[in-house]
Amino acid sequence: VFSWGSFHNAAPAVKKSRVFYGSLEEKERERLSSEAASSAASGSDAVKAGIEAGNINISSGETLEMEERVSERQQEALAAFERRRRARQITVSTDDAEVKAGLRALGEPITLFGEGPADRRERLRSVLSVVGPDALKKSRRDEERAKRSQDECQQTWYHEGSASLKDARLWLAKYSLPRAMRRLEAARAQRDVTEATRTIRQQELHKSLRNLNNFCSQIGDDRPISFCHFSADSKMLATASWSGLCKLWSVPDCNLIRTLRGHNTNVGAVVFRPQAGVSLDQSDVNLASCAADGSVKLWNLESDEPVADIEGHSERVSRVSWHPSGRFLGTTSYDRSWRLWDLEVQEEILHQEGHSKGVHDIHFHPDGSLAATGGLDSFGRVWDLRTGRCVVFLEGHLKEIYSLHFSPNGYHLATGSGDNTCKVWELRNRKCLYTVPAHQNLLSAVRFQPTDGHFLLTGAYDNTAKVWSHPGWTPLKTLAGHEGKVMGVDVSPDGKLIATCSYDRTFKLWLSE
Amino acid sequence: MSLPKREMEELRPWVERTVKKVLGFSEPTVVTAALHCVGKGLDKRKTIDQLRPFLDDSAGGFVERLFEALEESRSARGNKGGGEKHRKRDLKDVFGDEAETGAKREAPEPGDGTVAKRKRVPRFEEVEEPEVIPGPPSESPGMLTKMQIKQMMEAATKQIEERKKQLMSRLLGTPAAAASFMNDAIEKARKAAELQARIQSQLAMKPGILGALGNTGPHNLVALANLHAMGIAPPKVEAKEVNKPTPLILDDKGRTVDASGKEVELTHRMPTLKANIRAVKREQFRQQLKEKPGEDLESTSYFDQRVFITPAQRPRRAFKFHDQGRFEKIAQRIRTKAQLERLQCEIAQAAKKTGIQASTKLALIAPKKEIGEGEVPHIEWWDSFILNLSTLYSLLININSSLFDTDKPVTLGVYLTKKEQKKLRRQTRREGQKEVQEKVRLGLMPPPEPKVRISNLMRVLGTEAVQDPTKVEAHVRAQMAKRQKAHEEANAARKLTAEQRKEKKVKKLKEDLINGVHVSVYRIRNLQNPAKKFKVEANANQLYLTGTVVLHRDVNLVVVEGGPKSQKKFKKLMLHRIKWEEHNSKRDDPDGDDDTKRNNKCWLIWEGTTKERSFGEMKFKQCPTENMAREHFKKHGTEHYWDLALSKSVLDGCTDD
Repeated sequence: VFSWGSFHNAAPAVKKSRVFYGSLEEKERERLSSEAASSAASGSDAVKAGIEAGNINISSGETLEMEERVSERQQEALAAFERRRRARQITVSTDDAEVKAGLRALGEPITLFGEGPADRRERLRSVLSVVGPDALKKSRRDEERAKRSQDECQQTWYHEGSASLKDARLWLAKYSLPRAMRRLEAARAQRDVTEATRTIRQQELHKSLRNLNNFCSQIGDDRPISFCHFSADSKMLATASWSGLCKLWSVPDCNLIRTLRGHNTNVGAVVFRPQAGVSLDQSDVNLASCAADGSVKLWNLESDEPVADIEGHSERVSRVSWHPSGRFLGTTSYDRSWRLWDLEVQEEILHQEGHSKGVHDIHFHPDGSLAATGGLDSFGRVWDLRTGRCVVFLEGHLKEIYSLHFSPNGYHLATGSGDNTCKVWELRNRKCLYTVPAHQNLLSAVRFQPTDGHFLLTGAYDNTAKVWSHPGWTPLKTLAGHEGKVMGVDVSPDGKLIATCSYDRTFKLWLSE
Repeated sequence: MSLPKREMEELRPWVERTVKKVLGFSEPTVVTAALHCVGKGLDKRKTIDQLRPFLDDSAGGFVERLFEALEESRSARGNKGGGEKHRKRDLKDVFGDEAETGAKREAPEPGDGTVAKRKRVPRFEEVEEPEVIPGPPSESPGMLTKMQIKQMMEAATKQIEERKKQLMSRLLGTPAAAASFMNDAIEKARKAAELQARIQSQLAMKPGILGALGNTGPHNLVALANLHAMGIAPPKVEAKEVNKPTPLILDDKGRTVDASGKEVELTHRMPTLKANIRAVKREQFRQQLKEKPGEDLESTSYFDQRVFITPAQRPRRAFKFHDQGRFEKIAQRIRTKAQLERLQCEIAQAAKKTGIQASTKLALIAPKKEIGEGEVPHIEWWDSFILNLSTLYSLLININSSLFDTDKPVTLGVYLTKKEQKKLRRQTRREGQKEVQEKVRLGLMPPPEPKVRISNLMRVLGTEAVQDPTKVEAHVRAQMAKRQKAHEEANAARKLTAEQRKEKKVKKLKEDLINGVHVSVYRIRNLQNPAKKFKVEANANQLYLTGTVVLHRDVNLVVVEGGPKSQKKFKKLMLHRIKWEEHNSKRDDPDGDDDTKRNNKCWLIWEGTTKERSFGEMKFKQCPTENMAREHFKKHGTEHYWDLALSKSVLDGCTDD
């Protein structure tokens, strides 16, 4: 009963509507419209009149949005945070010059009044955080690309050589052509030898090589021995050491004849002049050596002081080699070039570029017509000395070429490389004849038998030297005994002795018994 | 069926005239209304209703007329459209380029397989073979000659002129403009139909290539049908009439006879056993199959020739034999061409490498011919060049060989020491922390909940903890659990998925082989034991090494290629982990030589780098003879491995003796 009353009296509690602090126009309009709907035209006329008179102002629902403005401010703050965070992640060079260059590239002042390097760096960072770190990188890459394309444009170019070079070339042509003739004649004569005798000779050679044994071992210096070379008469052996000393040893008794003092750093090579000990005077230039500081020195057999210095190299000179005539000296440099020096004129007649990395070794053709160079770019090049052209390009090694040697037959060339292989190239057909998987470390030296080229000697950093038969390339003998890397090998011109020198500061002579 | 605007515009003058005729004066409102009705696609009754306010009683008549005109114009237009298309194509077929007449004439005729075949592009483009390419337009018997076509065209135009005249006289009653309009359309349609029909009949008469097509019937029934619709007689040239049923004539005895009174044998259908009926049906069906399929399809008048339907059964193809030696000739030509190209390419390459830019110059000094092993040339090629040359160079050549990729500077990545790493981490974390604090201070972020543990609960939530310890403890524990969970989730998110982990492992094993492939060669005295074979193979595969195993008596050679790390692992396996010598196993086969088994050994013959992999997936090969083994290696360009291993084994044998 009670509830009845209450039900009728009080209207059901309206759900509490949201508190609304905005304008009341919306509600007002609603109210007005509802009024207009309910009481058809009673009040609306008055209201209309009021509106027309301008007494009642109803806007069209424009509101001032405070929320948005607040969120805008928040957005800004957040963006600033984001920017700072990004700036933190950008790495900016600590080099002030680079920072300045970066600022300039971005079109900013490179320095402001009273600004230190640290501030400048921060400024660059803040700029980069706005424009993005790619901006700087992109411009730099463009530059690089432009430079590279410019480089690629110029591939081959020619200089005009000196008159002395022309003379030398003519001389070389005159010198080499008869020698080539003679060599070929000898080869033809050799061909007439019957098969049987040839095989017998070969078998004998193989037998003797199989019996190679360590004949003598000598401590050469207190630093590693990098190079060894026999004189033409096979009576002397020159060794070069990292201590800067070169030594001459009598062969085969291994007595020290003389110590050549002159270099201050690692000596790369010391080489006898082809006629040394045969037709050359003792006081004449008999030896040439080179060192890692770029010094090249010439020696005679009388004093322990150098006769002459060849200056002109600024970088390491790894090898020197004499032209068979004894008139020219070839040097290889790590400045990507090799040079030819004329001893008669006493000047550099050729500065030959062409390798893309340092040139390590050079060897002259027995005729004196060609020179082969091998470099750290893993390619070998054979140059015609009479024309200056690169006539053969030896491509095949995977790593640096450390050694090259022409066979006395004139058309075989052996290269030893850092990829543990030795390749034999056929110059007549310009191709790789055979790849000898020779050693288990890089090959530091290759030599053909100087008399007939019937065997090949390789020395490597796996502490061994190996003897290979020349046609066939079968291993004949492994010369093991060194405790360190074998750094140089040589075969005496009479073909009896083999010398190896090693990182273990010794050199050894090997003899067939 | 509302009309497009253009058509409405075309109709407008005619309607105007009609209105003028009916009302006696022109009235634009009526015209517009009428057109509006037509445009809306109203039917007659509705149109009358619509126009009644304007025209009153005469509305009915007017609408009648209007609709008639509409109908006529529509049909005319339909014809015009379709006919025009037809005509164009046919005219082109007939008049097409003189050179192409032969080929083009055949093109639109479907059904003949040879046409499609002939159109196929010749396979060897560079080789001109008259057999392959469709020949010049010869006057083949199946084709229409130029003269014939010309005659036909002339006859057709003449006929058209006549027809036109007739039509003009017949259509004098209708308004002149409409008549001319109609005329035009009719003329076009007619022309097309006529031409088609003519060509048809001509082709039918020629028994050659299109003999089969002759009775395919309604080539352009569409056009004919259009003509019928317009009430114009089809052209004189007769297309094949559809067969009418022959009249049934019975004689006094009830037999079927033909017009001349002869008895006609009707097919009797004897009701027999179901099986027999089926047999007969099957037979018929088979016969139908044997006959050309789809023939009945073509006999329907609704068959559109232009639509290509692939027959259900592929027509049997005849053999096409080529002349003997034709492809040999082509191949020879291609070969010589390729050879020439290769030669040029080689010369260019060599020129690039040696730095002599003009390849002609290089060719000058290049060796003229291959010199055999034993021969001694008269003069070396490099010397012969000098002899020929009168002047010597005094030039220095610089060759920039930086185009080779090997001389890129080697750069290491940035590596940090432990200390530096820690410092970096500390700094970044501090920065991050500061940022969060800043954000909280600026009110951009709600402040983090106080971190409560059981140990600091009393300090953090002092009064509450006193009031309701159980609740507070629960709260704290929940928070702790939440923290733990978040931590673990973060860890899990960082973790690599099983797949990624696998990929990472594989990536580590598959090494970068751009700078050369590491190769090692092992020699084993005896590799007959399957367990050891398996170990070798499985390990090689797992380390992603490729290579080969050659089984020969005393020289079992294992060559593996891959990255340096895998090589190191494999080396350890071969030289240390596998115990090669087997002492006295129980299952000793009686014929196996015990010596090699007991003194079994593995040597590392060679290790080094090569440019590329020479072998594929690890494979075993049994080689009974030395030659076979060498051949196997030679096939992969690595015979020196075999030579070395063999000579080593020979040397070892010598030293043993």
